[in-house]
Amino acid sequence: MQLDPRGVRVAATITTVVLALVLITGSGWLALAQAVVFALPALFGMRLSPYGALFRVAVRPRLGPPSETEDAAPVRFSQTVGLVFTVVAAAGYMTGVTALGVVATAFALAAAFLNAAFGFCLGCEMYGLIARARGARTA
Amino acid sequence: MHDVSVTGLIVVLGVLALASVVGLVLRFRAGRVRTTTRRGAPGWDLAGVTPEAVDRVLLLQLSSPICTPCRQTAAQLTDLAARPGIRHVEVDIAERPEIARTLDVMRTPTTVAFARDGRELLRVSGVPRRQELLEALDSELTSAR
Repeated sequence: MQLDPRGVRVAATITTVVLALVLITGSGWLALAQAVVFALPALFGMRLSPYGALFRVAVRPRLGPPSETEDAAPVRFSQTVGLVFTVVAAAGYMTGVTALGVVATAFALAAAFLNAAFGFCLGCEMYGLIARARGARTA
Repeated sequence: MHDVSVTGLIVVLGVLALASVVGLVLRFRAGRVRTTTRRGAPGWDLAGVTPEAVDRVLLLQLSSPICTPCRQTAAQLTDLAARPGIRHVEVDIAERPEIARTLDVMRTPTTVAFARDGRELLRVSGVPRRQELLEALDSELTSAR
């Protein structure tokens, strides 16, 4: 499956705003909501990305077709990384371990912002590192 | 309803500032040729190829399966390897993690260039800037055959 890279950037921008609000309000529920937004495309594919759907309905008709497309697999993997961080964040805030919530949200915010502002996919980069670490253990 | 967390606000501003610096550094470095002088890494052996008589430079590209710029890099280097003297080999570090360790590579795509005699010449992280790469390899490609 191919994605419109502008949609990926728009989704990352919305994610950046939501995660900043999580930190500012300290709301575990908002972190959980963002975790659900990550979980849908991570588990069931990018077509179920809520922010992606918002882009298709509200933004894309005004832009016209994309000049290039992007492979969905790396983006989907990065949603899984985001899911892990936001689940940890929600658990931290909701169980009173606020420091854990702050740190996990801060990492997710940094990754979302790098994608939104620079088009740099931190979650995708991590894939190579994880593969390398696995190799190191079994070597 | 939650109150505004001053700590949270400071963390937001700090993260955005730090991520901006990281993003600018990454953007500056992306695709740029870095001349390196490491010794001892047997590039041709790692790539599993024996240099043929015409080969002057090996472009060893380290990729991972989940990596959009790796595909752009592969297309560009395949094109470059059509020139005499240049060999291009792409390896997947998920399958061959020992190559990433030996060369101490943390990111994909990273391209490491080796001379015929095994010297490491340069490295590029990200999609190489084509002209810059060709210029950097020029003296090696035109060296005595």
